[in-house]
Amino acid sequence: MRAFGMYVHVPFCGSICAYCHFARTAEHDASRRAAFVEGARREFALRRELCPSLGGAGRPLATAYLGGGTPSQLEPALMERLLAGTVGLCARTDDFELTAEANPETFTAPLARVWRDAGINRVSLGVQSLDAAVLRQLGRACDPPTARRALALACAMFGRVSADWIIGPGVTAATLLDELDEAVACGVGHVSLYILEVHAGTALATRVEGGLLKLPPDEQVAATYLAAAERLASLGLPQYEVANFARPGAESRHNRGYWQRRPWLGLGPGAHGAWGRCRRANHDGLDAWLADLGAGRLPEASVDRLSTASRRLERVVLALRTREGVPLEWMPAGALDLARGQAEGLWRVADGRLRLDGPGFLRIDTIEEALARRL
Amino acid sequence: MAFNREQARNFCIIAHIDHGKSTLADRLLEVTGTLTGKDMQAQVLDSMDLERERGITIKSHPVRMDYRDPDGKQWVLNLIDTPGHVDFHYEVSRSLAACEGALLVVDAVQGVQAQTINNLYLALEHDLAIIPVINKIDLPAARVDYVIDQFIDLIGCAPEEIVKVSAKTGEGIVDLLKAVVDRVPPPTGDPDAPAQALIFDSMFDAYVGAVAYVRVFTGTIAKGQKIRVFSNERQFDVGDLGYFQLARISQKGLTAGEVGYIATGAKDVRHVRVGDTITLAETPCLAPWPGYAEAKPMVFSGLYPVENDQYDELLEALQKLQLNDASLTWEKETSAALGFGFRCGFLGLLHLEIVQERLEREYGLNLIATLPNVEYEVLLRDGTVQLCENPALLPDPKLIAEIREPIVRASVITPKEFVGPVIQISLDRRGVQTKMEYLDIERVNIEFDLPLNELVVDYYDKLKSVTKGYASLDYEYLRHRADDLVRLDLKINGDDVDALTCIVHKDNAYSWGLKLCQKLKELIPRQMFTVAIQAAVGSRVLARTTVQPFRKNVTAKCYGGDISRKRKLLEKQKEGKKRMKQVGAVEIPQEAFLAVLKVER
Repeated sequence: MRAFGMYVHVPFCGSICAYCHFARTAEHDASRRAAFVEGARREFALRRELCPSLGGAGRPLATAYLGGGTPSQLEPALMERLLAGTVGLCARTDDFELTAEANPETFTAPLARVWRDAGINRVSLGVQSLDAAVLRQLGRACDPPTARRALALACAMFGRVSADWIIGPGVTAATLLDELDEAVACGVGHVSLYILEVHAGTALATRVEGGLLKLPPDEQVAATYLAAAERLASLGLPQYEVANFARPGAESRHNRGYWQRRPWLGLGPGAHGAWGRCRRANHDGLDAWLADLGAGRLPEASVDRLSTASRRLERVVLALRTREGVPLEWMPAGALDLARGQAEGLWRVADGRLRLDGPGFLRIDTIEEALARRL
Repeated sequence: MAFNREQARNFCIIAHIDHGKSTLADRLLEVTGTLTGKDMQAQVLDSMDLERERGITIKSHPVRMDYRDPDGKQWVLNLIDTPGHVDFHYEVSRSLAACEGALLVVDAVQGVQAQTINNLYLALEHDLAIIPVINKIDLPAARVDYVIDQFIDLIGCAPEEIVKVSAKTGEGIVDLLKAVVDRVPPPTGDPDAPAQALIFDSMFDAYVGAVAYVRVFTGTIAKGQKIRVFSNERQFDVGDLGYFQLARISQKGLTAGEVGYIATGAKDVRHVRVGDTITLAETPCLAPWPGYAEAKPMVFSGLYPVENDQYDELLEALQKLQLNDASLTWEKETSAALGFGFRCGFLGLLHLEIVQERLEREYGLNLIATLPNVEYEVLLRDGTVQLCENPALLPDPKLIAEIREPIVRASVITPKEFVGPVIQISLDRRGVQTKMEYLDIERVNIEFDLPLNELVVDYYDKLKSVTKGYASLDYEYLRHRADDLVRLDLKINGDDVDALTCIVHKDNAYSWGLKLCQKLKELIPRQMFTVAIQAAVGSRVLARTTVQPFRKNVTAKCYGGDISRKRKLLEKQKEGKKRMKQVGAVEIPQEAFLAVLKVER
């Protein structure tokens, strides 16, 4: 059975976070949101027209993920309609995983009930921090009490809850470890821990360039990351990817699909998809995306057909991100000094695979470059 | 028009670089009607793209102009456009030998420069009639009176002898042609004597083989005759001969006093080297034209392909370049750090740069050039002398009695306010000042005896920077001189990087080693692992620096499965990495191999 995944990008936010460079907008109203939902339904229909087997019994949906932006910005009725016109039209596997992202400030009990009833069985909460100063710095519209309420609510209502944390300015290992303890104690079984990245064009980049904000030194960030990974493991959530930690069995099956190069359909502005040998990307802007759909066209900004070399490169760098690591036979000969890396704690080589450890994950870009150079 | 010696004038233009030599040649071609407007493009005689781009002349270009003067008299004017750069000193001297007169061109804004003076001396050595020319008189900043004074001081001419022109606007060009006709003596020489023709340049033509550019002094050479090249006694049949206008104009013969070309059919320009003499095989002349010397490379550098699989292409490209450039030498070389490559010899730094640039541009090669260095004479304890042009191949110090390095006489002309800094940078490079004279109230000529190795490293750049670009430099080889020299090795992660080895004065070894290590630390990017950089003389480590690995280099999020961004970045980086050389497990950027050039003293 050839299952597939679905990613739906909901581009609306209540306010824009200082660091965010994704396709998102804070300028929206009920009619824009409704137009988006109709657009996503149309996109799915259009794609199914082109590939009738999609979502049929021979090709069921295994996972779906509503990301953003902020999916919790959608009114409950719109969410139901969005799901009905996309996920709801597909045959689904028995263990179908349906994740939706939410911001704590919009994640309310009524919304949670609608989501659960609509089939959402996994919630990913963008907590980022439980420290008021850190949240302000990041431009988050949420305060610690709200975040705590949302965490408790999510854990009470959903069997599987993930929470995002960010290592950014003002975050110390001591406060972060306490926060992670609290989250896990609350019932969170999955944590995504990101190191803050400064992307050009964001408010954060402007502040950093203007000298208004000083980023913590790499050494400190690295130490915090390693300490958090160690703590999460001791709490029963071992690392299974560069930025992801989970209780055994609680890993995100949807995200694993990305790392294992399984096919998925991307819907919505800025959404990416992978199908056949192609990587597809939709228009970032809501209007451009809607315009194409209105004209009966796929709203794609680009379709890259991957060469064999590109596929090989993808498979190595994606596998490198994961706990399972890379089979040695996928790696170009001589690209890495295996013994030295093992001696310095970057990775372990066993059972014919190379698996990164924390310090290796921290230098993964460098390792990828070395591999890419020889591929 | 038949050749009549009395109505022929052979002359060249000598000038400091950028003083408008090629533009002046263009204008002469235009005014004499050799070129019509539609043929006109700037620097007509500079046929290589590089020559046009850099505004320099690399090869000598002779051209014959048939000129009817305002009185209706007909003349044959042979102009030999000479290379303007100090690297091509010998070529210039051969071109001068082919002439009876020289236009000494000085820029009206810049005045007399170092090469002006050196070229003047060269022209005087050849007994040429000198016509002083002030160019660029149209520029607002022109200081015509000032340059007139300089000329009077320099060559003792009368003010009215100086011709003032603007090669750009054409002003004064007719006067200049009149001066050439009036003041350059006609060629002499017996057309019936045995043939004696001086080769002042040569080029390779894929169809007719090596073509010698010659000045016939005596006798006559005709198509179909068998000629002999004096130094190597090779004989060739004259396939074609004639003179140049914009193309080769074939003639039946070339006779005493004429300038033209001889297509020899030789497979290699090295058989018809600049400075050699061509005569007839059956009735040879007794002696060659004096002054023949094989151009000797002064500066050496290892050229290596970044990607090893470009080795064969590099070999082929060097062979092709050598067809047309007899002064380029190379031999195969192996470097532990860089793999297979070539040790190339050049006339000077500009020659090196030109060759490297042509290899990269015209042949699409991606190269690493090692630090330019010079040829050392190494006296061994057993009394033998070895030549060494690759520091990494210096014999074991225990076997060495002394090392001698080439010393040049460098002359610097600088505005007087920069005298202090000029002397300072020269002393810092082990220079010894031998002369200082005021050329006028503003300008000073200073001479130094300077190790050539110090000069090729960074002297010229430094000179330009401390004098805000005003100083000019010329130099000539003096002798080899023994000094306290040691070999400084660079190690990366404990491995010798032979391509970074250099020879330095013992007193400077420590500070050099330290600065070199610091510079390499800046130039070598952070890597996966710690990189240790050491400088050592023999087994003694003088300095050490460390490039720390990345503590954090992680793009954690591939949001919504967007792996394409990452993949494209990696593919782009991979292209960028082609500019890096893998030495052991360390990636070293090309510019690191020239790190020494960037070290501040």
